[in-house]
Amino acid sequence: MTTTAQFLPAPPLFSPVAHNWKLAILAGLVVSAVAIVLFPAKLSLGVAGAMAALIAAAFTVNAYRRRYYGGLLVAPAIAVLFVMNIFPLLWSLGLSFFAYQSNNQSIRFVGLNNYIKVLTNDIAAPANWDALINTGMFVVFTVALQMITGFLLAMLFAKQFPLRKYLLILVLTPMMLSVVASGVFFSYYYDPTFGILSYVMGEITGNQFILMDNKLGAVAGIVFTDAWMWAPFVMLLVLAGLVSVPKYLYEAAAIDRVSKPRQFWTITFPYIRGLLMLALLFRTIEAFKLYDLVYILIRGGQDTKTIAYLITEIANEQNKTSEGAALSYVILFMVIVLTNLYLYLANRRNKGA
Amino acid sequence: MATLAEKFGLRKASGVGEAGWGHTLIVALVSLIYFLPVLMIIFTAFKPSAQALSVPPTLSPTSLFGLIPDQFVFTPTLENFGQVFNRVMVSGSAAEPTGFDVFFFNSFFISSVSVLLALVIGTLASYGFSRYPLKGNDTYLFIILTTRMLPAIVVIIPIILMFRTVGLSGSYLGIIMLYTAFNLAFTIWMMKSFFDELSYDVEDAARIDGSSEIKVFMKICLPQVVAGLAATFVFGLILTWNEFLFALLLTGVDTRTVPVAMNQAVSSGGRGTDWTLLASIETLFLIPVFLVTFFLQNHLLRGVTFGTVKR
Amino acid sequence: MTIMTKMKGAATAFSFAALMSVGGASLASAEDVTLTMAVPDWPPTRIMKKFFDEQYKPKSGNTVKLEVDFIPWPDFYTRVNASLTSGEQKYNFIVSDSQWLGAFVEGGYFRKINDLLDADPDFMATFKTIHPNPLNAYSTYPHKTENYYGFPQFPDVLVNFARADIICHDEEQKNFQAKYGKKLPCTGEELDAMTWDDFKNVGEFFQRKKGDMLAGKPAEDDFYGIAFQAGKGYDFSSMQINGFIWQMGGDTWDETKAPQGQAEGVVNSPAAVEALTKYLDLIQYMPPVAKTGTMDIFVSDQLFREGKVAMNIDWIGLGEASLAADSKVKDKLVFGQMPGTMGADGKMIRWSNIGGQPFVLTTWTTESQTKEAVDFVKWWLSNDIQHQFAAGGGQSAVKAVYEDPKYVTYRPWNRAWAPQLEWQKDVWHVPQFFELLTQQQDQFDLAITGKQDAKTTLDNIAKFQQDKLKEVGLIE
Repeated sequence: MTTTAQFLPAPPLFSPVAHNWKLAILAGLVVSAVAIVLFPAKLSLGVAGAMAALIAAAFTVNAYRRRYYGGLLVAPAIAVLFVMNIFPLLWSLGLSFFAYQSNNQSIRFVGLNNYIKVLTNDIAAPANWDALINTGMFVVFTVALQMITGFLLAMLFAKQFPLRKYLLILVLTPMMLSVVASGVFFSYYYDPTFGILSYVMGEITGNQFILMDNKLGAVAGIVFTDAWMWAPFVMLLVLAGLVSVPKYLYEAAAIDRVSKPRQFWTITFPYIRGLLMLALLFRTIEAFKLYDLVYILIRGGQDTKTIAYLITEIANEQNKTSEGAALSYVILFMVIVLTNLYLYLANRRNKGA
Repeated sequence: MATLAEKFGLRKASGVGEAGWGHTLIVALVSLIYFLPVLMIIFTAFKPSAQALSVPPTLSPTSLFGLIPDQFVFTPTLENFGQVFNRVMVSGSAAEPTGFDVFFFNSFFISSVSVLLALVIGTLASYGFSRYPLKGNDTYLFIILTTRMLPAIVVIIPIILMFRTVGLSGSYLGIIMLYTAFNLAFTIWMMKSFFDELSYDVEDAARIDGSSEIKVFMKICLPQVVAGLAATFVFGLILTWNEFLFALLLTGVDTRTVPVAMNQAVSSGGRGTDWTLLASIETLFLIPVFLVTFFLQNHLLRGVTFGTVKR
Repeated sequence: MTIMTKMKGAATAFSFAALMSVGGASLASAEDVTLTMAVPDWPPTRIMKKFFDEQYKPKSGNTVKLEVDFIPWPDFYTRVNASLTSGEQKYNFIVSDSQWLGAFVEGGYFRKINDLLDADPDFMATFKTIHPNPLNAYSTYPHKTENYYGFPQFPDVLVNFARADIICHDEEQKNFQAKYGKKLPCTGEELDAMTWDDFKNVGEFFQRKKGDMLAGKPAEDDFYGIAFQAGKGYDFSSMQINGFIWQMGGDTWDETKAPQGQAEGVVNSPAAVEALTKYLDLIQYMPPVAKTGTMDIFVSDQLFREGKVAMNIDWIGLGEASLAADSKVKDKLVFGQMPGTMGADGKMIRWSNIGGQPFVLTTWTTESQTKEAVDFVKWWLSNDIQHQFAAGGGQSAVKAVYEDPKYVTYRPWNRAWAPQLEWQKDVWHVPQFFELLTQQQDQFDLAITGKQDAKTTLDNIAKFQQDKLKEVGLIE
């Protein structure tokens, strides 16, 4: 492990030198906050932008002076992310404490009221809880199905065999489709009049088959489509781990007559654990945002509305911006807790291993 | 490949066993079943529009010498692909250009530039996070991850505002920057996990041998994570290529991308879905990512981790 | 634009100068006026653009350009809403669903045009030749007051699309007569005379399994008598259900009576419950997709075009598709008015929810743009252009045009147009319309998919509307 020595002591917090990035961040936040409160949107945006540039400059100077390579390497990424992602995130976080509708000029501070409204108000809340349960259900089902399918597919492709290349690309194709196209086409496959599913089921059972006329069928249809699209993602990550296992480890294991399942857990698994975790992490995050397929396949009917669906209705269609923001931060909090749990468990295992 | 790496005694791993045609047969069966829904889309692109919804669904362009009953066979046509670029918009008048040549170019230009940009910036950052951890490294990494956690619809309003204020809305630069940021979280996490897996011994040996930090990065580390770079590029490309909401709200008439324009075919010309048109747009749109993935496949699967002991 | 010019454009996109000019390049000199317009991408708007490019000569002598942003229908609201509410100020004209008026007027985005009408008697005269029902729906906010905002772009009503080859077949005619003691409607006039009970009979009569005889031949696939919108998306059941409720003596919450008018007791009145029950009763005769709650206006149209149903109630806007080359029923069609309800006095009651869209001016449109815009709208509403529009597949709400004997010859459904205009009403235009609509659609979906009865459904809707509208002060 190489750590760069820190040659210079950090400047005191309030010392106005060019490399005092802590002060820059503090000043930047304060000035931006003041600007957002006092000035119209356009001007305050400019101020916030200038402050971001100031922080970036201080950061760079500081890193350079202290041969702080980590900082220098990370800075461009942080800068882009700050402007394009973190700033809008903070903006909507701020909005969630106001009563604000985007199609209405008035704005008023209401503290935690939006959160209270979202969680308890008798008009909004039952729908929110339903959507929350649905979201949890979709996350568990689609992520589990993706992980299992992806893992099994990866095992199939982990060997060298003729035509491997050509078959692999076939399995990877589903995730290259646009969600709209695959969603719309799956609605055709599931269609009771025109679709192949109802045709095949009808030929077999002799009865009319309508997949999405009940909740179970609708959920199955959505989960299947989503998992079909994204299992290849899991597969590719797992496969990248599988092919990087050095052959001699297996040879050694074979000599020691280690059983196949044991070989898997002691040799193979450590190589794919990190990538599995990454796949799990990203697929979980995406699954929490599930909206498109629910909309395209069933329009949120049969009690399949997810939180992301609700947020789109509230924040986009009805323009209740701040309420939508509050609801999304409730979700964000849950995703953060969950992903931290993943990471905690992963790290603990890492250390244990 | 990396001569410097070889100098320090790295050897290639190949953790994959060999299997024969029997295995191919099994995998081929699985792969074809998995591919079937895509194949149906591609076939639809070749169907005459009157046959797109025939019952029972037509499944094959050929009867395979009488093997497939006639009711499942359609007559293939190339007409739909022409419709993508030129079609009759107003009944009774001539076909006019649809602008899809421009949309395809936009998609291609915007995604490739932003994914490459994200790959460069993100790889540097992930190397930093991996090799020179900052104080609170994990916190930074986690904050980066949170940028992917909120539905895009929530953060879109401040982004539109910001774009308008600085004059970026409808420009290539704006959407490219946004997509770069959009890809960064994944790039950083992915590349960091690849860098973390590398053995530090080789790098340290190279440093003792007098190699500069830049040389260590370029000649020792990067060659070992080519698989990771390829995978990240492919994933980033796929996500960006198909991104819809930002493209809908932040591109103008001239910078519009295919996923936005594709919805023309979902509700087209005063009717619902135009199945053959949608299928042919999607089929054409699939080709570039399909090819890129195919050609990067060697890198994805070469197993370029070197055979030294991990950490 | 060619690929080459795009390449050059892309190359310069990275230069700072180009970057800064992208935002503000809309107006150049006083002689050049550009009007930017956001429209859904479909024939009526494509025709408008085409006519403009080919025929429009500005009276002012300026060079006027109409830049049209064709946005696919499914994303149109999202795009327009985001553009307006974020303050992007990109468009001068916006095609808007009539229900959006309140939300966007209150937001300060749609420009009131009373001053323009008052200043220009010609304009006022043209404007007043529009039939009052569409005029009220498309232009007034608050509803039915003299505050004007929009001009008809594509006015639309629901009509009955029917399969002449099926319903006029001798065998079917004979069997229907024997079973119901009434003639199976066949001509346009006979379709006009249909009530919902007749419509139900058609639904029941034409339920055929694959292989059953249908119009003298074995059916190639399952066949159904009737279809209409019963889908959860957007307004794809309310637009049909409202017609039922109004025809049968019920009412929706009436915004013109605010703040005295109530929702509870009105929305869930016994007449309304009876009407919804009648509507739900018809679902069983429709193609199976109705049971999933996704039978929207496009799905029912597709089923009709593919020859799976005998009659379909749908917007005229989807009519062109049924005549298109790939329509399986293109040469077998007959059109009539939407069925009605027989009143106690023996007269047919035909209330129906109006469709179609107006286009409106935005508040940030400059004075010189506004001047050109008014000229453009006057030209658009002129008899000659409206005739051309109708001949090309559009509809016109301008009296002199639709009363012209030529009008009914343009399209087979046009004979239903003038009589139906008299019976058009519209739902709410209040800013809260989307909230009301979403909740109502969700509730209707539960009823359509058989999860709750008509009474519970309307009670839930009434309660929600009462609470919501009280909260915002629209009900006292």
